[in-house]
Amino acid sequence: MKKYTLRKTTTDNRSEPESRRHFQIDYKNQLNPAQYDAVTSTNGPHLIIAGAGTGKTRTITYRVAYLVELGVRPESILLLTFTRRAAQEMLRRASILLDARCEKVAGGTFHSFANQILRQHAKVLGFDSSFTILDQGDAEDVVNLLRTQMKFDTREKRFPRKKTLFDVFSRSVNTSRSIAEILEEDYPHYEDYLEEFSLLQSAYVGYKSKHNLMDYDDLLLFLRKLLQEHEGIRKKLTEKYKYVMVDEYQDTNRIQAEIVLLLAGRHKNIMVVGDDAQSIYSFRGATIRNILDFPEEFPDCLVIKLEENYRSTQPILDFTNEILRRARE
Amino acid sequence: MVKTPRHKFHKELFTHRGGGERPAIVVAHDENLQSRFIVQRVLELREQGVALSDIAVLFRSSYLSFDLEIELNKANVPFTKFGGFKFIETAHVKDLLAYLRVIENPRDAVAWNRILLLIDGVGPRTAETILTDLLARKPGKNLFRDDWRGYPDRVRTLFETLGGVMPEHLAPADKVASLLLYYDPLFKRRYEDFNKRRKDLEMFQQITERYRSVGSLLADLTLEPVTESISDISPPGTEDEKLVLSTIHSAKGLEWHSVFVLYALDGRFPNIRAAQNEDAMEEERRLMYVACTRAKENLFVSYPINVYDRESGLLLSKPSRFIAGMPESLIDAWVVDEE
Repeated sequence: MKKYTLRKTTTDNRSEPESRRHFQIDYKNQLNPAQYDAVTSTNGPHLIIAGAGTGKTRTITYRVAYLVELGVRPESILLLTFTRRAAQEMLRRASILLDARCEKVAGGTFHSFANQILRQHAKVLGFDSSFTILDQGDAEDVVNLLRTQMKFDTREKRFPRKKTLFDVFSRSVNTSRSIAEILEEDYPHYEDYLEEFSLLQSAYVGYKSKHNLMDYDDLLLFLRKLLQEHEGIRKKLTEKYKYVMVDEYQDTNRIQAEIVLLLAGRHKNIMVVGDDAQSIYSFRGATIRNILDFPEEFPDCLVIKLEENYRSTQPILDFTNEILRRARE
Repeated sequence: MVKTPRHKFHKELFTHRGGGERPAIVVAHDENLQSRFIVQRVLELREQGVALSDIAVLFRSSYLSFDLEIELNKANVPFTKFGGFKFIETAHVKDLLAYLRVIENPRDAVAWNRILLLIDGVGPRTAETILTDLLARKPGKNLFRDDWRGYPDRVRTLFETLGGVMPEHLAPADKVASLLLYYDPLFKRRYEDFNKRRKDLEMFQQITERYRSVGSLLADLTLEPVTESISDISPPGTEDEKLVLSTIHSAKGLEWHSVFVLYALDGRFPNIRAAQNEDAMEEERRLMYVACTRAKENLFVSYPINVYDRESGLLLSKPSRFIAGMPESLIDAWVVDEE
């Protein structure tokens, strides 16, 4: 049999000189030096620390275009953002910059990505692919229904309301802590109800599975489960998505970070972008640790800082720099 | 617990742009003076040619802008508020979504409960009975054509409607149109302010026109709430340009020509409860940082004094610790005075 070897179409190390290739876009002149580094360094793990107004969107947009120009198949690039509009906007801009190929890049939020993957693999998780999604209000209503069914509403002592119950369940999922820990730290006055909380939680889980329902947290939980427990599916996905980029990494939660680790796979072409000084979503379970610890998770990661601001006047920047400076002391 | 290092990745932002005014730290003797200061300054900026939509007022928590909203109404300044109720969370839009959800997933008991309870004469017990019966039947596209004799007329009408919109070849927009016909009388009976709410349903219908399947419509709407409810936007101005009021969380990633940060009062921002926990306090600081870095040209950080805090019994009068004692070279100190 004749062996026919395909040549590599993508660069496979960080130092591939750009000059050898012909690019449509003049990256060097359209980006500042830090942005340029972030855009053209493609392989291996990267952490981009992007200060406020430093052209983060621009950088991600150019990086998408750059990868596509290098010959990376757009479908094998995954861009996860905080809102889906952000992903759409970046891909739209990349398409204007380069061409329509950029529209084919897989982009969205963690939840929308999870939704898409879970529909394809619902069966192995015991769900039907037509599962519907409960928003927070719906989820609280289910908890309330079970609370009544299980006769917790007739307790003599005040029993937590649906909002509190659901908040405890959700917090436990998003911060990877046990219900006992959550009660101890956040709701000490309900610690006596630990057993009831646990009973209600299993009833809630059972209800959702019986009625083919997932709440927002489930989307992430089941995606992680799928990746952890189904090696074949994980392998397929990591082979499919060869370049993974995550925006607003400072506002991801623990499960999202674990999903990122699982998706980074063997290729480890993972770039996370964010600003530790702008982490403000801990009330939803986000943890600043994800971005702070990224260099420990990937010891060979390249850290690039974007510090040139294109938004504000210098007096405003002096003032905001001072707000941060006083935190360090 | 491991202590979180504060700012591991030190950075110092700079720009090559020249000029610019120093941020103003503005003290007002009470909350209402703060509100009137903002209204007047906003109107002045507008006279100078800054579009209202390029000005934002940011706050730590949604309730902190209530007094300002009243003053804006008085001065007839149109505004949009972000960070409150979302379009998709409004009851009438959720009703409509529930119909679509049972077509998609007939086991969705949450949605069933919602639409059954909308029917006059159907209480929780009847809903429960219907639901049990329904779940016992064979799923599939003939589900709604099944034998529903013995059911109240109003419930049968619901099943007929659902059966009618079940066929796959119908576009989501057509399904929604039929469902709206069915829903309209229930909607009017349920919500006294139905005229105000109707705009949301119209917008919903408009959104569905972009979709080819109910599944993707539902996923999009639940995963990514599209827009604010129309009934939240007030007052209706003739000019479409509106001042932006937003919580800091909802202002993430955005920028405006001029930014006001109100209630930079210690005890409100940072919140009084954050004082118990160092990590929470640092997050409050980052919030202040996020708020102030939204400004391109003008930044006003204001705080009222003599604010009584019911919970602690304290009189709050100090500027937020994040901006207190800033070097004089970095700020302009303002006091709001009455004529």
